[in-house]
Amino acid sequence: MAATSAHPSTTATPPPARDDAYERKLRARGRRGRLDVKLSPYLYISPFFVLFLITGLFPLGFTAWIATRNWNTLTGDGGVAVCGAVCDSTDPSIFANFQWVFQQSAFWDALRNSFSIFLISTIPQLIVALVLAVILDANLKAKTFWRMGVLLPYVVAPSAAAIIFSQIFSDRMGLVNTALNWIGIGAIPWHASTFWSHIAIATIVNFRWTGYNTLIFLAAMQAIPRDVFEAAVVDGAGRFRQFFSVTIPMLRPTLIFVILTSTIGGLQIFDEPRMFTEGTSGYGGSNNQFLTVSLYLWDLGFNKTTIGQPNMGRSAAVAWLLFLIVVVFAIVNYLLTQRIASSGGKPRTKKKSAKKVSA
Amino acid sequence: MGSSIRTRRGLAATAGIASITLALTACGGGGDNDAAGGDDTGSGEQVTINVSTFNAPGFGAPTADKPGADLWAEYEKDHPNVKIVETVADSSDNARAAFNTAISTGTGAYDIQMADIDWMPSITALADQFVDLAPYAKEAKGDWLDWKTAQGTVDGKQIGLGTDIGPEGICYRSDLFEAAGLPTDRAEVATAFGGDDATWDSFFELGAQYTAATGKAFFDSSAAIFQGMVNQIEESHVAKDGTIIATTNPQVKADYDQVTTAALAGQSAGLKQWTDDWSAGFKTDAFAVSLCPAWLVNNIKGNAGEDFVGWDIADVFPGGGGNWGGSFLVVPEQSKVKEEAAKLAAWITAPEQQAKVFLAASNFPSSPTAQADPDVAAKTDPFLNDAPVGKIFANRAKAVTVVPFKGAQYFDIQTAMADALNRVDVDKSQTPEQSWDQWVNDVKALS
Repeated sequence: MAATSAHPSTTATPPPARDDAYERKLRARGRRGRLDVKLSPYLYISPFFVLFLITGLFPLGFTAWIATRNWNTLTGDGGVAVCGAVCDSTDPSIFANFQWVFQQSAFWDALRNSFSIFLISTIPQLIVALVLAVILDANLKAKTFWRMGVLLPYVVAPSAAAIIFSQIFSDRMGLVNTALNWIGIGAIPWHASTFWSHIAIATIVNFRWTGYNTLIFLAAMQAIPRDVFEAAVVDGAGRFRQFFSVTIPMLRPTLIFVILTSTIGGLQIFDEPRMFTEGTSGYGGSNNQFLTVSLYLWDLGFNKTTIGQPNMGRSAAVAWLLFLIVVVFAIVNYLLTQRIASSGGKPRTKKKSAKKVSA
Repeated sequence: MGSSIRTRRGLAATAGIASITLALTACGGGGDNDAAGGDDTGSGEQVTINVSTFNAPGFGAPTADKPGADLWAEYEKDHPNVKIVETVADSSDNARAAFNTAISTGTGAYDIQMADIDWMPSITALADQFVDLAPYAKEAKGDWLDWKTAQGTVDGKQIGLGTDIGPEGICYRSDLFEAAGLPTDRAEVATAFGGDDATWDSFFELGAQYTAATGKAFFDSSAAIFQGMVNQIEESHVAKDGTIIATTNPQVKADYDQVTTAALAGQSAGLKQWTDDWSAGFKTDAFAVSLCPAWLVNNIKGNAGEDFVGWDIADVFPGGGGNWGGSFLVVPEQSKVKEEAAKLAAWITAPEQQAKVFLAASNFPSSPTAQADPDVAAKTDPFLNDAPVGKIFANRAKAVTVVPFKGAQYFDIQTAMADALNRVDVDKSQTPEQSWDQWVNDVKALS
């Protein structure tokens, strides 16, 4: 391209007219080329964003719209939302559904449960996953076997795992309680007690996700160049020192990823408490012992569909509150993680040098 | 070279757009209800009718824990162009969530949906979304008890065809009664419950006797007993003018107090209905008595096992008769094969088929013609110690004098009530007073 434009005079046609047209053509081609360079990358990544627009952004906006309306699942829109008897108000207001939700003890119970289950599942899960990853990272015999073994529970569908565990944690006939009775400790009220129901559900979550996180950690650990460890060993660092001063700082991006995804997933937990509910109604326990926010909004939106009730509007309001909570919490966690992981040294520069070495 | 790069880019862009289109069409392609044609084997077009039922409807081929009259196969034999696919949900609540989603979005509904009586207020309010089945029913010579027809009819449009009704007797464990020193013969047991004049007082008195003698629980679940009580109140939670009266209705409060008092006195096994523990209770000695609508016999049999010996049924019910449950079949307008579906719904709810279902399973017919069928009247059930169930349930159906009014909010209020009773009886996490107060709040949230 450059070569031909550098010698325009070698062609036979008269210079001015042809030059003009040719220049224009060239300029146009140049523009197109620039446009191509500028635009194409966006076009290539556009499938994701177009899909996101359709399946992510639009529902988000539409949910916000529903949340302001008197919307029933079966009959649809019924005007601007009204709070009703719980706030002694029959005035239409776009915040009425939110007001109604704030008046429901079930919502606050659900919020408490979501956080509680999230904490007692995620924290031990990540710690165990880290430890397992370190062990798997060591020189084991039959490496693939152990690594596959860790991932096996992840292959089990969440509802299948939940069904199996629901039977294990069944109040009277369950495996755990039978064993406890046999030992003489006495049965634990897995469904009736708020605390124990959270433990049971956290167990189901951990069963499934620990192996998954282990593998992510393991992959990140294997990407850490061995010479960094060698240098640490030469400097006299023991196994623990290596773990805290080399492995953890080097894992920072992975840690952030895993903690963020666990936060989002943990606060949205649905399958496990849904399947943990025994019987066919009273989801989350008759006293909301293990009602989570997702479960609450589903029950409100798809089970309590009595005509005349703005159940979908209220459910949408819960959904938006959950969305805001998750966003806030994810940001908080992100900031915390950055601080914790960087306090052990200067991971940024280390990482850069490490990359250089490996390249 | 430049152009070849551009071509490649063009290709890439095309590929990107194509992938979007693919993804979109993939999204849109779900839930299609293809009436796969093309086969010239049968008369007329090949149609597949998808049917959604729950619990033990008794229509299909019998399985290990669910009896059935194998009627789909019979229909398919007579109509070679029809293929029927039945999906049986384990409970009506589970089937309902999917049904609600399908109705609200306008796609994905089954061609025939079995609907519990508790769903009917919602369905009749959306009558234009369902096919008027009256002409099909007429052709199939269907007939129903007047109140059953009324429950499925809006403005002369019959959108729900009745399958069964749930007249209630009392199922009891004769072996446990014997151990407690109570009568075991079903006529004597009926007398012990109070015979024709049985009241809930006399029911709980016998319970107190049993619990005092054995130290064990008498009935399975407070929520189940309350269900029997509330179905005898004509206007319980919602008045006929549409106002919610649940929390101020003295009869509801009296029933609540009576059942929770008995539960706290040890008469209740404290089991939540439809849980594994509750199911297992039918073959252990967890409780001796269960209120027994006809269809529940299927569940007792399934839970205890066909060979289990001990269950029997008494021809008696406290406070007069009672009807619990019983279902309808509806055909959504969105069905692509609604005419074929309507024909099938009419056929399977016709008297002859209702009688067959009762003989194979235990779902008592809602059709007077089927009830009068000599085979139905003569049916005995070996599982219930050869009890003449045909006669007993016919008597129980005659004893039903009250048709409870179930307004729009009834279902939500009753579900909240079950939760309230379970808090006291199953979780033991609240006193009856605390639980009542929370229920009052729950009901208030419905307005």
